Amino acid sequence: MKKLAIAVAAGLAALGLATTTLAQGPTEKVRKLNLYSWPQAALPQSYQAAQLIAQQWRQLGLDVEVKPLQRQAQTQLIWFSRDKWDTTMWRMVGRPERSDPDEFLYSLYHSSYAEKGYNFIGYLNKEYDALAEKQRTQLDREERRKTAFAMQEIINRDQPQAFLVHPKYALAFNKAVFKEDTVVNQSGIGIRNIWTFMNIQPLGAQKDLIINSNETINATNPLYIGGAVDSWITDLIWDRLMRIGPDGMPQPWAAEKVDWIDDKTIEIKLRAGMKWHDGQPVTIDDVIFSFEAPAGDKAPMYKPFVTDIAAMEKIGELGLRFRLKNVNTTFLTASLAKINLIPKHIWEPVLKDLAGKPETAEQLKSVPHVGSGPFKMVRWKPTEEILLDRFGDHFQAPKVERWIMRIVPNAEATLGMLKRGEINFLGMFGGDAEVLVKFSKENPDIAIKSEVDIGFEYVAFNNRRAPFNDVAFRRALSLVIDRRLMVSAAWQDYAIPANSHVSPVLSFWHDPKVDQLKTGVAEARKILQDAGYRLSGGKLYYPVGKRETLTTE
Amino acid sequence: MRLVVERFTHNALALLAVTTILFFMFRLMPGTPLAAFINENLNADQQQQMLEQFGLDRPMWQQYFIYLANLLQGEMGLSFFQRRPVTTILLEVLPNSVILTLSSLVIAYVFGVLAGAWLAWKRGSWIERVAVPAVLATRAAPEFWIGMVLLSLLSFNAGWFPSGGASSPGLAYTSNWQRMLSWDYIHHLALPVLTLALYLQGLPLLLMRSNMLEVMHEEFVTMARMKGFSEWRIVIHHAARNALLPVVTAFALGVGLSMGGNVVIETVFSWPGIGRLLVQAVSVHDYPLAQGAFLMIAMVLALMNFVADLLYIVLDPRVSHGRRG
Repeated sequence: MKKLAIAVAAGLAALGLATTTLAQGPTEKVRKLNLYSWPQAALPQSYQAAQLIAQQWRQLGLDVEVKPLQRQAQTQLIWFSRDKWDTTMWRMVGRPERSDPDEFLYSLYHSSYAEKGYNFIGYLNKEYDALAEKQRTQLDREERRKTAFAMQEIINRDQPQAFLVHPKYALAFNKAVFKEDTVVNQSGIGIRNIWTFMNIQPLGAQKDLIINSNETINATNPLYIGGAVDSWITDLIWDRLMRIGPDGMPQPWAAEKVDWIDDKTIEIKLRAGMKWHDGQPVTIDDVIFSFEAPAGDKAPMYKPFVTDIAAMEKIGELGLRFRLKNVNTTFLTASLAKINLIPKHIWEPVLKDLAGKPETAEQLKSVPHVGSGPFKMVRWKPTEEILLDRFGDHFQAPKVERWIMRIVPNAEATLGMLKRGEINFLGMFGGDAEVLVKFSKENPDIAIKSEVDIGFEYVAFNNRRAPFNDVAFRRALSLVIDRRLMVSAAWQDYAIPANSHVSPVLSFWHDPKVDQLKTGVAEARKILQDAGYRLSGGKLYYPVGKRETLTTE
Repeated sequence: MRLVVERFTHNALALLAVTTILFFMFRLMPGTPLAAFINENLNADQQQQMLEQFGLDRPMWQQYFIYLANLLQGEMGLSFFQRRPVTTILLEVLPNSVILTLSSLVIAYVFGVLAGAWLAWKRGSWIERVAVPAVLATRAAPEFWIGMVLLSLLSFNAGWFPSGGASSPGLAYTSNWQRMLSWDYIHHLALPVLTLALYLQGLPLLLMRSNMLEVMHEEFVTMARMKGFSEWRIVIHHAARNALLPVVTAFALGVGLSMGGNVVIETVFSWPGIGRLLVQAVSVHDYPLAQGAFLMIAMVLALMNFVADLLYIVLDPRVSHGRRG
């Protein structure tokens, strides 16, 4: 009797265990997905897009939840815990140096950046890696372009993430104060650029250009960039050998000419007669010093831009030869157009003083503001304004007398200021683009210019985690997203649809073939069906043989 | 004297507690300051180097004692982002916050006390029926709303006041004093002060009114009436003096509270003050700057608390007598 009881108990226990295993064990149903986004208040367009995308994914039988996270928390999760999330809204912003496609072509998808760098989605493709490395060595632009096209086609095929839009940014200025045709548009950047600031011509008594920023300026240091706005200032105070031109290509600037001698040698000739803001002449020794200064450990942020230099040789009074360690086609954009020229007579003692101390040039209590750029520093109050005077001795001296940036955190107030003349150039607008358009209609003196961004907004898929490691699944999720709906409903027509990491504004490098992305629910369902995914009871199931092994974060 | 020392010690201990809480609160928040530095140029070694530079690689208790030791020497550290001493950054904006807060409070309290006393006197009249709801409405309305309405009406449309900032673009002054005494600064200060004063006047007004109503029924007032003093003399010399006590405390505490609570006003009017600095520092995890800003606010609050205590001892003999008795 006792034995029977034990046997029954054991049998029941085994049955119970089996039932539990059946209930908790792996199923074939695709798990619930979290789509992370910024909160609506922080980035309304992106949040709206996330909601629309979630709806479209649900049509494929997926269980999707949009989860807004504060920026820091989102960064912490996505950037620092790379295997713990499925999908997130993300953006890459445009900067003048991104006019060379290398930064996006290489760092977004090269496998060496998967662990710590920009390839946070974990896309690994040897074929792509090889092309990314190849384009860096192709000095022939036409050849390099072919490689860039091939890379865009691979990304189009694999859809490691779903591109959504290239936003359009609207900026404005007062055309009663400035001559309208002297404002310069820079490809992918817009009218807020150094070319405008040098060219813009005042019409009347107001000779000051007064621009706003809603961000505080962190630093004005030629060896340290603390925030986006900081670089607008350093751009104006310090010259570089080359500059990214309005067309997005690097062009000689402080260098009169730049020539490739062979694929590892570049010769430059410095412009004659340049002066520092303290009146001293700019010499080739200053140039050499400027490229040597970041090589040590005192300017970590700029160090990567000079690591490719093997040697520098002086040729006469104004010539300089750079010998590179590797063939590097991006050297012009990533080094010559990036390193700020600094006066040796001022910085040499500063850096000597820092030698042997733990501090770097980034922590200098008083930064010498002597550059050779078109504007010179007069006064800086980090939370209020920065004031620069025109440098009359510059080879392209500005037409405005002073360049003043006001820190205005209230977006509505910037429009009030524009109307009242407290600012006359809208360098940044945090509000709704439609409000700005309406404002300019009511105030005919205000001219609006908008430009498609080099940057883009996208949904990142975590390629490390199933089912996102399956091309078919990623393609289906990407193709079901209606980009036109994104543009009109989320971005209120202030954007264009995107399907490439090279913006169409970089027309030479952008591959028009990838623009023909055929989207739609039917198309997406067909891809899933062909890959063996099944729809049952309105829910999506893995192909036979595949099982869910992960849980929703 | 013993009482003064006792109150002082209380406030000092409170400050130490605030310092400790602040230190750990920021470090236990999700995210690190590195998150704001995401840059593909920053490799793992450089990130480590940065952590070492900031001292963030050490155990937290060590960081805490280093922080306390530095603080005792008046050293608040370097801001992670501005790479400048926190004390310098704070002292740059502190005068603006002090001026904004004090002028608003003075206006709000002078107006509030007088209007409160008057309304108590007018109890039961139609004036009271209109004024009290109006006061309640301004007190309940969000500051940013009052600010935006005033901006829209008096600046964008009427053009009487500037739309933001503390001085006109490009104006230079030889000293901070010269700037703060200039017409341009006062012109810029007017709208933020008006907004803050409108928001703040409700408390002293209602407090004064209810105290007055209470005091008017006290025996000494009846006594004064019996002595045949005029109504005005009774209100000012007898009733108001007594009703003022809680208002004085509220004023002292108000200085401390609104010093850090001006974030909204400072943002709406682009006023370069400590509140805006604080919000920005917190959002980018700039620990030293955020801690410094909070600490400075806490210090002002503790100081004003102490001042309120002292005022009480001076103004109300019952406080010190009570202890002795």
